[in-house]
Amino acid sequence: MVNSVIAGLTSGGGYALLGLCVVLTYRLVAVVNFAMTAVGAMGAFVMVSLTDKGLNVWPALLIGAATAALLSGLLGAALVRWFAGHRERTKAAVTVALYVALTAIGLRLFGGNSTGAHRFPSPFADPVFTVGGVVVPQSVLVSLGFALLITLAVGLMLTRTRLGLKLQALSERPSTAEVVGIPAPRLAVGVWAGVGAITMLVIVLVAPRLGGDYATLAGLISTALAVAMVGAFRSLPLTLAGGLILGCLEGLSSSLSSIQKYQGVVPFLVILVLLWWRSRREVWDTAHSR
Amino acid sequence: MKRTYTTAAAAALAISLTAAGCQSSGGSDGPIKVGSINGITGLFQTPEVPKAVKAVFDEVNAAGGIGGRKLELVSKDDAMDPARASQAARELIKSEGVVAMAGSSSAVDCGLNRATYGKEKIVSIPAVGVDPSCFTSPNIAPVNPGPYALTTAMLYYASETLKRDKVCIDYTVLPGSGGGIENAIKEWTNLTGKSLAHKNLAVGQGDPTRYLVADKNAGCQAVLYNATVAPWFAQARTQGMQNVDFLLAANSYTDANAKVIPADMNAYAGTEWQPYTDPTLPGNERWAKLVDENGIQKTAFSQGAVMAADVFVQVLKSIKGDITRASVTKAFKDMKPINYPMAGSPWVFGPGGEHSPIKGSQFVKADRGGWKVLPGGFTVPTKK
Repeated sequence: MVNSVIAGLTSGGGYALLGLCVVLTYRLVAVVNFAMTAVGAMGAFVMVSLTDKGLNVWPALLIGAATAALLSGLLGAALVRWFAGHRERTKAAVTVALYVALTAIGLRLFGGNSTGAHRFPSPFADPVFTVGGVVVPQSVLVSLGFALLITLAVGLMLTRTRLGLKLQALSERPSTAEVVGIPAPRLAVGVWAGVGAITMLVIVLVAPRLGGDYATLAGLISTALAVAMVGAFRSLPLTLAGGLILGCLEGLSSSLSSIQKYQGVVPFLVILVLLWWRSRREVWDTAHSR
Repeated sequence: MKRTYTTAAAAALAISLTAAGCQSSGGSDGPIKVGSINGITGLFQTPEVPKAVKAVFDEVNAAGGIGGRKLELVSKDDAMDPARASQAARELIKSEGVVAMAGSSSAVDCGLNRATYGKEKIVSIPAVGVDPSCFTSPNIAPVNPGPYALTTAMLYYASETLKRDKVCIDYTVLPGSGGGIENAIKEWTNLTGKSLAHKNLAVGQGDPTRYLVADKNAGCQAVLYNATVAPWFAQARTQGMQNVDFLLAANSYTDANAKVIPADMNAYAGTEWQPYTDPTLPGNERWAKLVDENGIQKTAFSQGAVMAADVFVQVLKSIKGDITRASVTKAFKDMKPINYPMAGSPWVFGPGGEHSPIKGSQFVKADRGGWKVLPGGFTVPTKK
């Protein structure tokens, strides 16, 4: 059982990265982005389609990241242009609609992948060390390192830089930020595009381990949201921890034959338990603050 | 005035279509309409299947048809959507008046439409049977062994041919199919007296490391697997499982998958017919010639399509008198077994309450980016 938990931990780095992307979008532009992984997967599949056609991996990676950035930027622009004054839930609903549309389009364009039609490059597959009976490959360390880097860099940027201050202002009070001279719409679209490109890179990093199916990769949003929930959509370090915890829970649930069949429910259970835990002291009509 | 013409033309078209629908359900002239439900879009895609069935029908039509009547295939795409699959069956039977279903390849057709086929007294000969109902219904008899008979054959191959003591299974099971796989495992235990060292029928999406670690802990020497290939083998290699024999189910037997299996890993695949990657094998010459001439993708599914169409035509040719739904159903229920060299056992429909005529599997091994056919022919599980 311990080995299974460690095995689960190996996917935790990837989950943490996805959760961090959700938290980042929420903290910077105040939108729960359900379309995030679908957009990232679209970029990843553009890349794979190009490498399958013989293009070198680096320009393909660049084009894929640019595609995801463009798609995400367009979504951001639409939200800024048409939904700026709307509530968070309306904006979230827009991203849900986009998730459904993108998943349908992605499946149609790229199909299922049990036939092995698309191949993601896997540069970090070599083993590094062994814990218990589990061999830990480079990709686990790369995911964890990337997650730590995002946690630290974004944390420092938000608290120590002028850009960070502007971004925080943009997220807290977009209209006031604009009045005091912060170019809110441009900044917001920039954030959307940036998160789109980062998500694409994360998807490319986790795809060789998680399976190259468009629906599988786009569906990672449920795991990402569960992870973000651990950090209450605010705390980057807690989100990082959330990814690792969720990985361990998955490993544990697959090792117990009595609950094996229900392991897909793990992210939703985490969301439910956290929602209940966080709202246990709230009373009706209390103003909810972000 | 123009509008009147359009309306009149539409009405005329509607009337002629209705008349055609009424005529074709049992008349003795006009084309013999044959239905099929295929996954063309959606998660289970087999676009090559109706093309290959049509190619066989075209060949028969070019040679004068059956009793002077042409064969006409009416294929409907169900997009793996239950509502569309039920609707397709109703349309084919009621509006199109098909005499039988031949060459279906849908993940949901059998389970949803078995009652309809029974009520309408129509037979279905799927090219690719997927869900358990395809193999347990009185009016359906596929031409493939299907995932259940194939699982028994794969277990048998692992324990009896490869002589592995600790055989394990890691499967992704479609909803409603779990019982079928459990029965397949029981069948293997009945035949060999052996039992599994480890079983997981809930392999989900995501990082496969946790499943592979469980296999390592159980000491598995052979593992049956039926889901996405590339991440599985990449992680198995990382976990140092080069000495384990992995047996892949027929859905993973593709050219693309052979290329993603690392050279130092042992990967076998159980095929449903003679391996399609070697067109010179018995029965494959005809299939290869037909798909080549018609520009159809070479896949195992297209083998099923050609076989389903061929056995269908052979039974139709044996009918004396009018070819109607009733006479076709009777011919299939009364037919003699057909030896088709592409399959592991003779194919027969017959009068029984359930039909799973094709048994056994040929085995191939991943070798330098392709598949090598293993000696020994079809492995048909028998009592030890």
